[in-house]
Amino acid sequence: MTSPAPRDRVDELTVGSGARLEELVDRESLGQLATSFADLSGVGIRVFDAEGKLLADAAQPVELISYLSTLKHSRSAIESTVSSVKNLDPGPEGQAGIDGVSGGRYRVVALEHDGRRVGRLVIGPYFPPSLRDIPSQLLELEPALDLDRARQLLTMAPRVTDDSMDRLARHARAALDVVMFSGLRALLTGSMHLAAVRESYRELQSKQDKLQVAYDRLKELDRLKSNFLATVSHELRTPLTSIIGYSEMLLEGIAGEITGEQREFVTTIREKGEQLLTLIKGLLDLSKLESGTMSLRKATMEVAPLVRDVAQTMAPHAKKKGISLQAEVEAGLPALWADAERLRQVLLNLVENAIKFTSAAGSVKISARLSSLSTGGSADEGGLVLLGAQRTAVELRVADTGIGIPESERQRVFDAFYQVDSSSTREQGGTGLGLSIVKRLVEGHDGTVHVEANEPQGTAFVVAIPLKRATLRP
Amino acid sequence: MQLDFVNRELTIKLVYYGPALSGKTTNLQALHRVAAPGSSGRLMTLETKDDRTLFFDLLPLSFRSQSGLAVRLKVFTVPGQVIHASTRRLVLQGADGVAFIADSRVSETQANTDSFMDLKDNLREHGLSLRQMPLVIQFNKRDLPDIRSDEEIAKLGAQGREPVYLAVAMRGLGVVESFIGLLHLTWSALDAEHDLGRKFGFDSIEFMNGIAQKLGEKRTTSELLSACVGGALEVLRPEAVP
Repeated sequence: MTSPAPRDRVDELTVGSGARLEELVDRESLGQLATSFADLSGVGIRVFDAEGKLLADAAQPVELISYLSTLKHSRSAIESTVSSVKNLDPGPEGQAGIDGVSGGRYRVVALEHDGRRVGRLVIGPYFPPSLRDIPSQLLELEPALDLDRARQLLTMAPRVTDDSMDRLARHARAALDVVMFSGLRALLTGSMHLAAVRESYRELQSKQDKLQVAYDRLKELDRLKSNFLATVSHELRTPLTSIIGYSEMLLEGIAGEITGEQREFVTTIREKGEQLLTLIKGLLDLSKLESGTMSLRKATMEVAPLVRDVAQTMAPHAKKKGISLQAEVEAGLPALWADAERLRQVLLNLVENAIKFTSAAGSVKISARLSSLSTGGSADEGGLVLLGAQRTAVELRVADTGIGIPESERQRVFDAFYQVDSSSTREQGGTGLGLSIVKRLVEGHDGTVHVEANEPQGTAFVVAIPLKRATLRP
Repeated sequence: MQLDFVNRELTIKLVYYGPALSGKTTNLQALHRVAAPGSSGRLMTLETKDDRTLFFDLLPLSFRSQSGLAVRLKVFTVPGQVIHASTRRLVLQGADGVAFIADSRVSETQANTDSFMDLKDNLREHGLSLRQMPLVIQFNKRDLPDIRSDEEIAKLGAQGREPVYLAVAMRGLGVVESFIGLLHLTWSALDAEHDLGRKFGFDSIEFMNGIAQKLGEKRTTSELLSACVGGALEVLRPEAVP
């Protein structure tokens, strides 16, 4: 049998069919209450529920009754009294009494809770003090009665006046009423607790479902955005190539000689066209990286020529700003399994950035060395020794003496279109795409990139590209 | 409403709603004080913390008509504090009528409004509309300074749909009037819907007067009902009210 839902249970207890006596009162406590009543009054008491089931029994042995039960005629009379007591309805008054053949009386008291009968108390047998002798009807019924013995036993039987019994019965009823009230309150509190928890859970669940829908929708939008970017970038690139191509042809004089001023204008057109092309390529790269359609052409490659090449490419640019550009490669670096072209793009981007944000007389330093890279797990969460793995990696470090990046911004610089200080961008130029492309390209090589401070001034971007598993350090 | 044909027993659920500390529990305590012994059970307070209701209070009242139909009234309060939203919704479930206990102080106007909107939302969650629900509004704490004026309440009350009562629940003023107003509306709605009067040979006037008597009232039902300021309290068969 399954129990009803907590909220239905609350309804049932308050406005519904109500609780049964057994639910309201702990049976053992009921037994103790009955025993205590019997001790106090000297009269036995039994508690029945509404269906007539015996819940507590504190019967007091009465020797007169025990003696009579050994005699044939009175035994059947006693049995019939007991059975009528058991089935006696206390009536609308809530109380009824019955007299036994021995002169002993029983009192039946209705137990009510919340205006409904939930059970009965049967109190007795007790003998009114006015009963001075064995009733004559008993003598008639039972000729074999030992009158002296019966008289002697009658003196030992519990004596209670009807008035006292009224008070005792009222007390028993009142005590049980208090117990039932507390019981109902405990039951209701428990059910309410459960119902409130269920309700809160249901509420959370429905909020969570709504969030999930919103999240799925956002994910879908993000995918659409990447697709859109890829398509648009591609479509923008085609006419732009023509613009740049035709400006070049004009500059070469293919369409006839051009004047100095015309040359100046066309040069501007070409330069701005190239700038636009770089931006579009960046967008295209990013969207390809985001949609996972960019393929890396990995091959064995040496690090030293890559660093040298980037340094040479950027040297004129640095010189123009009065910045010293140094490159340093540790001897004997192992070869990497990587896409050389993409790695070059990464390094170029970082160096270009470094130069951009370093003022005259500053320095930018590219260095490459062997290091190790932790993958998986984190010291904070524990289990690092199980989850993490140390892999040998080549570390490429680009350090500058520029304006630096505040610690709180160091994670966000890798977000697409994010710029630490947008006012500096207007001054320095840039799309805000470079670092997010760098991060994705590095991750495409299972590597990591992070920012740290370059003491005493400036920023260092550190890229670590792991070696292939086969080339672990011996 | 729960109807037990076998035992000829009808249970009606009334809920006292309203913002925190507006006097819902105080209303129930006042009703409990005036109710004749035997017609009211114990006032049960479920879980309180610093005298604030966490779950609900419950006051059972009972009435037996001459036709033998037993009517059990279960009067609940909800916890007013905003955080107990789910408990309020649980308690409101299955309500046959609602008394909205508002705090008269001007400073509490927003709290009253918020709580009333909360009532509306919670009724909707149970698939009910405010329009269908028998509702009375009580402006409690009339003895405090800086309250909304009698004229203002009377003017707005006259334009509104619900009967409005003024009360000082701490001193038991206006409590029985509000309750009788709520019971009258609720009973009329239930009777109209389920034809209880005819089915059980139940005399509504006898019932209303009987309840008022049990709440220690010497005034008649119609006198009690007329204590409301404004609202449409269509009096049940007025010619039959003694």
